[in-house]
Amino acid sequence: MNEQISIIELVLNASVVVQCVMGILILASMVSWVMIFQRGFALSSMKRESIAFENEFWSGKDLRKIYLEIDASEHEKMGMEHIFSAGFKEFTRLRQQKETDPDRIMQNVQRAMRVAMSREEERLETSLPFLATVGSTSPYIGLFGTVWGIMNSFRGLATVNQASLSVVAPGISEALVATAIGLFAAIPAVIAYNRYSAQVEIIVNRLNAFTEEFSGILYRSLQRQ
Amino acid sequence: MNSTVSYSISVFLALALHAGIVAVLLLNWEDQHQIDVQEIEKFYIDASVVAENPYRARERRESAARENQRRQRIAAEKKAEAQRKARLKKVEEQKALAAEQAAQQEAEEMSRLDQLKAEQALAAEQAAAAEQAAAEEMSEEERVRLEQSLALAVLEEQEYRRAVTDDEKAMAYVAQIQREIIQNWSRPPSARNGMQALLQVRLVPTGEVVDVAVKESSGNDAFDRSAILAVQKAERFVVPTDTRQFERNFRVFEVLFRPEDLRL
Repeated sequence: MNEQISIIELVLNASVVVQCVMGILILASMVSWVMIFQRGFALSSMKRESIAFENEFWSGKDLRKIYLEIDASEHEKMGMEHIFSAGFKEFTRLRQQKETDPDRIMQNVQRAMRVAMSREEERLETSLPFLATVGSTSPYIGLFGTVWGIMNSFRGLATVNQASLSVVAPGISEALVATAIGLFAAIPAVIAYNRYSAQVEIIVNRLNAFTEEFSGILYRSLQRQ
Repeated sequence: MNSTVSYSISVFLALALHAGIVAVLLLNWEDQHQIDVQEIEKFYIDASVVAENPYRARERRESAARENQRRQRIAAEKKAEAQRKARLKKVEEQKALAAEQAAQQEAEEMSRLDQLKAEQALAAEQAAAAEQAAAEEMSEEERVRLEQSLALAVLEEQEYRRAVTDDEKAMAYVAQIQREIIQNWSRPPSARNGMQALLQVRLVPTGEVVDVAVKESSGNDAFDRSAILAVQKAERFVVPTDTRQFERNFRVFEVLFRPEDLRL
């Protein structure tokens, strides 16, 4: 027997089913890592922007000026900006329509902000379900590949006259590579999923708090009139 | 951050990560998995067939007889040689005598020169003829002897070759029998290193064991019984189908039981 089996040989000599499993797992690992990086960037930029917006919001600047700045800016409205602009747009529109009942105005404004809020939440949570799926299923896929490979190598053992470890060992080894790849795909996905869902929750809480505060400010301004 | 930019960066990072991991795996695989494979070779039990090969004994006897023959032949040749020499000597003497006579006659009678000459020539001729005859006789004898020895050598060579291949085949069968007996041998607790029992086993040409007898006891009944049981459990051995070989090596053979792996 060859004194050393390289991992490449193991993968290339595996049976078709095991190779398919390995391919699926490698693909899943690739995509999940793309998601991990992308989510990482998106969440951190979201956090940064919301902090920047909060600073601007509480700086005592005129709200109308802030709204106009946001409306004029090129880039997509995100997070707090989005909620703020949705609420403020609704507020000004109702004011222009000579709506006088503060409760009805507030209801509409809050509804508009809720819609924006749910949009934001949706955007925050994109691709988190994919990470969860990869994290929970790829060990099973890998295990399937391993079981299949071991099954085959034992079936081969049945036809061999003199059963020795060197007959089954390569088959088992190549089958175990499938489990290894499955775990390799699953572990980062699970870690990233947990971490990102915690971050999303923090951001959503912050957005909720902002929504309440902003509606409070608007309500006060209505009552002042 | 623009989403397409972030996606392309992510794709790039993910690809780089996987490529890096694969590279690390490939580089380290060879070093990490250097496992020293040690061949473990242990022979715990030595149950060897120690039967005196009857064929070898016969061969020895035959070769001794041949040697004897050869010696006798050499002695006979020597004798013949001596005889031949004596004959030659006689012929020479005759010749010398004839020459002497001729000289006498020459001295005495010159007139009978012609006759004498003729006589001399005759004598010489006779001598030559005798010599030639002797030589011919010798060469004939030698040729026959040479031929005989050549044929003998060829025969010997053939015999030897067959014996060697037969022995090799027999060794394979012996090893097989040994394995089987070892497999079936479970030693009693009272067995000790250094004990040995010699068993005589008789087989029929199908390889079945018909008789097992203790030839030299180990002094421990349980041990002897375990040895007998080991042979009996095997019931049937694989033996050569060639009857000649079977008769020579496997009809009756002896097995030596000697445990070597025990701690006591």
